[in-house]
Amino acid sequence: MCDNSNPVYKDPRHGQSRELIYSYDKDGNFEKTVGFHGETDRVILQQAWDHFHERIQLAKDQVLAGKVSPVVYYMEKNLLDPLSLSMLSGISLWRVKRHFKPFIFNRLREKTLLKYTATFNISLDQLKKVE
Amino acid sequence: MNSVNTVLNFTHHQAGHCESGATSNLFGFYGHELSEPMAFGIGNGLYFSYIPFLKVQYAPMISFRNLPNVVFKRSAGYLGVDATVIKKFKDPDAAMLALDRNLEKGIPTGMQVGCFNLTFFPPEYRMHYNMHNIVCFGKEGDNYLISDTVMETPQHLSYEDLKRVRYAKGPFAPNGKMYWINSIPQTLDLKSAIRKGIKKTVYEMTGIPFPLVGVKGLRFMARDLKKWPKKHGNEKASFYLGQILRMNEDFGTGGAGFRFIYGAFLKESGTFLHNDELLEASDLMGKTANQWRAFTYVGARNCRNRSKPEEDYGMLGEQLLEIADMEEKVYQKIAKIKL
Repeated sequence: MCDNSNPVYKDPRHGQSRELIYSYDKDGNFEKTVGFHGETDRVILQQAWDHFHERIQLAKDQVLAGKVSPVVYYMEKNLLDPLSLSMLSGISLWRVKRHFKPFIFNRLREKTLLKYTATFNISLDQLKKVE
Repeated sequence: MNSVNTVLNFTHHQAGHCESGATSNLFGFYGHELSEPMAFGIGNGLYFSYIPFLKVQYAPMISFRNLPNVVFKRSAGYLGVDATVIKKFKDPDAAMLALDRNLEKGIPTGMQVGCFNLTFFPPEYRMHYNMHNIVCFGKEGDNYLISDTVMETPQHLSYEDLKRVRYAKGPFAPNGKMYWINSIPQTLDLKSAIRKGIKKTVYEMTGIPFPLVGVKGLRFMARDLKKWPKKHGNEKASFYLGQILRMNEDFGTGGAGFRFIYGAFLKESGTFLHNDELLEASDLMGKTANQWRAFTYVGARNCRNRSKPEEDYGMLGEQLLEIADMEEKVYQKIAKIKL
């Protein structure tokens, strides 16, 4: 079951689940209804996803132009920031930031690369290029 | 990994707020009917904090809920229930083993998890938000049975996925936190629990001497909101405003930053204790919640067309200040009620 009458969401997988929503009516009753989110909620959620997709696209362009390493692209794709990426992968923050440079990234040891692949849940070949 | 095959007789109810929903479901398993608003009100789910210098997903941190695990711990404490909370496991495998042992003993166990890797979660919500709560109530082979109050029905999650979400990283990382109920007394003393819960909530919303928490925090944010377009530019201001609205309306709140649920709690306790003042307070809370919803409506219009004149933010700030005044009246009113 899904509500396709509301075309705010750009991703077709979004907005498929029903949730419990409370409301207060004029007679003083708090009512629970199970239903899809309304238009206002869709607008603000879509705004966040637009923002993330913009960032991902920007990172992709920069990787293809050779300005940053693919780590940046996969970081943005996983909605991470450098600090969370460092916490998640167990590589210290200044090293993570260093690995954003293509020159440094290209001469990394496999041991370090494997830490990134485990974090992003991808294979080594995927890490080295942007699909 | 040992192979346990147990499915407990656990009834899943959908709820507005993940943790109070989980608490209410856990109480239900032990034969006590504790509705979601009741668990929410007693456990001090209502809260507000605004931390502009801490950024979550590129926007200032705004929270309409209390710290993780407060609702469960306080509602269990105030009701005199014997409950265990394990804050942290260093080793992920040990955390999973502890969960398996609990299931073997027949104890449904609540856990704090991160949302991003929850496979069954609605994709539009899968951001890095680490304060979500789920209850595990069974295991079939490698799959765990999960009751997530956002979803309509119980869900399945594999061993690896569960381990991943229990060790999500970032602000408020769960670190494998788990909690469960050991035993429940035959009768619960609801009256004293309601009194304690209300007193604590009033303190947290009005009494904390720190400008970023409670009603003061709301006013602080309202004043900041007016400055955003000048300080950050329209684009970023709109995104920050969207963050307030998302936290307020979407992330498992049941709407209006839990004000509806708290109003429902005041109403329910008013009918339970035959107290008219509580009923009046619940009416005020309901009206405040409707104001919140109106605020969301205006704000979302702003988010849709990003370049809007700056007066819009001034008006939104005024609206927030008004809401703060309304809320403060409710707290002052319920603080005076003698129960």
